[in-house]
Amino acid sequence: MPNFLTMKREWFSNVRGDILAGIVVALALIPEAIGFSIIAGVDPRVGLYASFSIAVIISLVGGRPGMISAATAAVAVLVLPLVRDHGVDYLFAATILMGILQIIAGYLRLNLLMQYVSRSVITGFVNALAILIFMAQLPELINVPIITYALVAGGLTIIYLFPYLTKAVPSPLVAIIIITSLVYYAGIDVRTVSDMGELPSSLPAWLIPNVPFNLETLQIIFPYSFAMAAVGLLESMMTAQIVDDLTDTPSDKQREMKGQGIANFFTGFLGGMGGCAMIGQSVINVKSGGSTRLSAFVAGSFLLFLIVVLGALVAIIPMAALVAVMIMVSIGTFSWRSITDIRHHPWQSSVVMVVTVVIVVWTHDLAQGVLAGVILSGLFFASKVKAIFNVDSQLSGDGLSRHYIVAGQVFFASSDDLVEAFDFKEVLDEVVINVEQAHFWDISAVGTLDKIILKFRREGTNVSIIGLNDASAHMINRYAMHDKALEDADIAPQH
Amino acid sequence: MEHILACIDASNYADSVCEFASWSSKRLNLPIKLLHIVQRRDAVAARGDLSGSIGLGVKGKLMEELVNIEAAEAKLQIERGRLLLSAGEQKLRGDGANDVCSLHRHGGIVENILEQEDNARLIIMGKRGASHEFATGHIGSKVERVVRASNKAVLVAARKFVEPNSVIFAYDASPAANRALERLANSTLFANLPIKIIMADMDIDAHRLALTQAAAKFDPERDVEAILEQGKPEAVIAKFTQQFAQSILVMGAYGHSPIRNLIVGSTTTAMIRTVNVPVLLVR
Repeated sequence: MPNFLTMKREWFSNVRGDILAGIVVALALIPEAIGFSIIAGVDPRVGLYASFSIAVIISLVGGRPGMISAATAAVAVLVLPLVRDHGVDYLFAATILMGILQIIAGYLRLNLLMQYVSRSVITGFVNALAILIFMAQLPELINVPIITYALVAGGLTIIYLFPYLTKAVPSPLVAIIIITSLVYYAGIDVRTVSDMGELPSSLPAWLIPNVPFNLETLQIIFPYSFAMAAVGLLESMMTAQIVDDLTDTPSDKQREMKGQGIANFFTGFLGGMGGCAMIGQSVINVKSGGSTRLSAFVAGSFLLFLIVVLGALVAIIPMAALVAVMIMVSIGTFSWRSITDIRHHPWQSSVVMVVTVVIVVWTHDLAQGVLAGVILSGLFFASKVKAIFNVDSQLSGDGLSRHYIVAGQVFFASSDDLVEAFDFKEVLDEVVINVEQAHFWDISAVGTLDKIILKFRREGTNVSIIGLNDASAHMINRYAMHDKALEDADIAPQH
Repeated sequence: MEHILACIDASNYADSVCEFASWSSKRLNLPIKLLHIVQRRDAVAARGDLSGSIGLGVKGKLMEELVNIEAAEAKLQIERGRLLLSAGEQKLRGDGANDVCSLHRHGGIVENILEQEDNARLIIMGKRGASHEFATGHIGSKVERVVRASNKAVLVAARKFVEPNSVIFAYDASPAANRALERLANSTLFANLPIKIIMADMDIDAHRLALTQAAAKFDPERDVEAILEQGKPEAVIAKFTQQFAQSILVMGAYGHSPIRNLIVGSTTTAMIRTVNVPVLLVR
């Protein structure tokens, strides 16, 4: 039950640090909001309004104080076809539906699914995201005047070297100011923000997306909303985990999911595109000393102030300066350790990580990459567990009966190995199968045991099973058929 | 094993908390558990880096830096906490309380007290913690949170321990006050101490009747005095606590919602702030 005292702690326990960090983060949000509006093929306004509204609403209703959410790369790359084929109003409608889906996911406690996402998949996700952010900068770096490269390199140099001079001002801001002044006063002809589209000069207003409210519209937007919701929640859950670890404080993941949903729902009505938590900007926030809800609130409101009040100044910023900041975000997001780790991590983990990255870069859909990664980790896990399995046997003194001892995990992946471990050609009167140290996990395992028993019976051998542990016994009593009348069941259970 | 939970920190209330603990342990014949919670400053806020640039391996570097800052500080705080606890234990043993154990925990102050309260008959804490040391005339943020969330009686220690020789009971006929009255009438802690039931309200029949009924709850042998005086509760009660400086104030606490307190202000908080005697809060 959130009460006034909790609120005070979550908002005003670190006021100075939060306000300063929020301002630093707001500056790091501008390039992304503008850059990804352009990728999604919409006006910069759409991304800027979205970043403002998502950051502010999440600060009020989210579950992870200190985390920054706004319009993001991960979501923007998904919606390009939707905007291209149907127009921007469909994007607003899809954002509203994305919010509804996320709220439902929050009530269904889908955050618990994150337990099945292994560390390799998360690393792959983070790396793929960094690559997406970098690739998104390429249009600004291809077929441009040579001077652009010099400006980007200059910007990066300032960003990384200026902190050695002083840490009291955000170096990305210094880079933007210096590069902008240089271009403006030297009259260098490069692309600026104003070439990208009209910046908003007013506060966002409520609007109802101009789409027909019918089933056809739903069919168009649902696949996009679903992918946006999935990617948004994935990135938010991962970022929340990163902020949890850095600040050593717990967070309410379920509340965060609902909060993301509420934020996207309202953002759609404000003419913004969908968004989610941002790994890079959240790290910037923590690094700059932001740790409560106030930091996200300040980031969002200061961003709006910048574009509405200082819009004329923002318009003359050369794209090269913003590209430099985005390259910094991409470098900071990428997990460089994972590259050196490839050498000494188990090969399976590296394959999962690389496959996740490749599929994301190929499909531009982080959710598909994560799905592939999760499936692959599951398969690798099954193949490792399957090896924990062994069958021994002993022939009795009179040579008429054999005692088999099955130990280990029996499930769909190991059931073939189980059949192969028995010698059905041996002429015996009796076979005893001791499964005391075996665990039968699923109906494939039970079905295999059935098969073995029936095969022995056909050879005229009597079979008895001993030592079923409780869980296995439950599976076998419920699903096995060798001990039920055969005519009751004409089909063996299939996995 | 039922016990008295005495919460101490580096504030100068620690001594009086220990003395109240040994006083109540003798009266209730219960062992004492001394609790200290390690508080480390948040390293995130302490770094003061506004550069906002993130480079190669930033997450790992930042993590390492935060861990190092906090580890160094936590080690220091643990050392200080151990000294505090052993000083407290010595003091208690010197006072003749033999059954004392210490408990040293990490984490939030309020959360920890609530985790430990299951077997506690009584929770004793200072009016202000180390983080509010400077704000005289205020109460710390933790007292209200503990009292609201806990279902045990909380004794808020005054800065100096004076052995209580009478009980002042602030009564307003509310359900919370009636529950507190029930417990007071049967309490071992205050056995044999004279009681003054004080009601700060209009002098009308209904109030007089409520007060008479309240006094009737006590053993007829007991020295009970019922007083009705017009005025603001905090002012009236404060006047009596000054008059009887060796008393202990007992009251039902936080009967209203946090929202109302935000708007109107809380009588309980105002009361704890204005009096200089120990206060026992019952919810």
